[in-house]
Amino acid sequence: MVRRRAFGSRFGAVLLAWVALSGNASAQDQGEILGAEDEPAEGDLLTFHGFVSQGFLWSTANNYLAQTDRGSFEFFEAALNLSRPFTNRLRMAAQLFTRDLGPLGDYRIAFDWAFLDYRHDDWLGLRAGRYKIPFGLYNEFSDYDPGRLQILLPQSIYPITFREFLLAATGAELYGYLLLGSAGALEYHLYGGTIFIEPREIGVPLESRLDVPYTLGGRVLWETPAEGLTLGASLLGVRLDANIELAGTPVGIRVPAVLWVASAEYVRHRLVVAAEYSRWQLDLQSTDETVVPSALTVSERFYLLSAYRISDLLQAGLYYSGLFPDVSDRSGRESYQHDLAATVRFDLTPNWLLKIEGHFLRGTAALSPALNDGIPRSDLTMNWGLLLAKTTVFF
Amino acid sequence: MGRREILRTWWHTGRRRLPAALVVLALLSVATGALASDGSYQVIVHPENDLRTVDRTFLSRAFLKRTTRWPDGRLIRPVDLPADSATRRRFSEDALGRPVSAVRSYWQQLIFSGRGVPPPQLSDDRAVINYVLRHPGAIGYVSAQAEVGNAVVLTVR
Repeated sequence: MVRRRAFGSRFGAVLLAWVALSGNASAQDQGEILGAEDEPAEGDLLTFHGFVSQGFLWSTANNYLAQTDRGSFEFFEAALNLSRPFTNRLRMAAQLFTRDLGPLGDYRIAFDWAFLDYRHDDWLGLRAGRYKIPFGLYNEFSDYDPGRLQILLPQSIYPITFREFLLAATGAELYGYLLLGSAGALEYHLYGGTIFIEPREIGVPLESRLDVPYTLGGRVLWETPAEGLTLGASLLGVRLDANIELAGTPVGIRVPAVLWVASAEYVRHRLVVAAEYSRWQLDLQSTDETVVPSALTVSERFYLLSAYRISDLLQAGLYYSGLFPDVSDRSGRESYQHDLAATVRFDLTPNWLLKIEGHFLRGTAALSPALNDGIPRSDLTMNWGLLLAKTTVFF
Repeated sequence: MGRREILRTWWHTGRRRLPAALVVLALLSVATGALASDGSYQVIVHPENDLRTVDRTFLSRAFLKRTTRWPDGRLIRPVDLPADSATRRRFSEDALGRPVSAVRSYWQQLIFSGRGVPPPQLSDDRAVINYVLRHPGAIGYVSAQAEVGNAVVLTVR
């Protein structure tokens, strides 16, 4: 595991070194080598971008993501990326990312993504390396604050604590964009590879061994003839193998999982309306039923959101998100979490924003007993509120 | 009224009012979205480009780099004016169907997921015209009053 993660880091480092060594070639030099048609356009050469975010969380009851019931500033994110075209078809891109979110992250710096991208034509491209997983409408953008209105995307489908599982994979991704004439256009992705997971990022003991033998999936988005309306479907298959020690007993766990989501988004001028419905099937298989019982669970997740750009300086939005961790048992506060959220975003300057977001939640299904003094979810406060504020500087 | 009761009340009333709030937002969008092309910008291409007419869907796909090739296979090289340019604002609302700030968000999403970079942004009409004349696959937009020289002005449908 350590060896494989080290390989991932080295891959990103090699890409960066390659870019640094070749970064002094001008567009004109490249044009002479590659021919005018292959020459990257002016302004498309080496580009750097980055952001730094600091947030604050406070909850009326229950600790969520951090020690929020007394207010927490443990909500920090930063990234620095670069993109470098070598020809009009081939380019590389990489991003370093760090975060601190309650017990997660702890300011460790890692490659968020790093890949080579060959776009043969609009209908066929290939990315190789560590790439963002195309799942649902917003998964690729879920850890980039300035690219969206909400501080927290609907947590039923984009849980911020699942970032290690859902955000990026290492392997290869085929993608394309196909015009369908009067029927609109189709965007598609097909990918396979593995996921490197840091044990402490998902709250298991550091000495645990975690492996993801495979992750396979795809996404199709159909830009319908109705202007602004996109429909989509995503499928993700992944298996997690873990060897952990609980109460002094070593246990082997295997969790094949299948996740799918159906998506709809309508974008018209200043309005965005989106809805997604998803089910995740987890088949937990254990070597010791007395310590970790095997179980097959299917969770249900959905949301409806709307965002409106009132002016260049101000956006506002609402969403309702629902989560049922086990569709066969919907009784009790621990078996659901309804989340009604409202956000305002102020773009104070072209490179500085401030967001404020309020959540009214019913249910405790997504709460962590570990953050709540070991109190079981069934005993945590059923109706609670969460207030978030976040500011981001970006370039 | 206790904190929990306030939350419970907000939860119940808020949940009932959500559909109405969404409808209000939708109506606001339709009201502000009814912009039409008023001839306040010109879309220009290189003289070697055979195209004389484009539709807004093509313009949108080209400037958002969804489509990257002209019908003859040549690379499309879109170029933008600055974000605070009045011409860009009109072009963005009319041709791309969204305000400049929304287009910026679109590009930021692609930049920070590694999926693309925005078109180069040039300072004024003259710089855009020079860029278009230097690159056979280029497409740009300038103000209605700009003298475009040898560049070809496209009719936007």
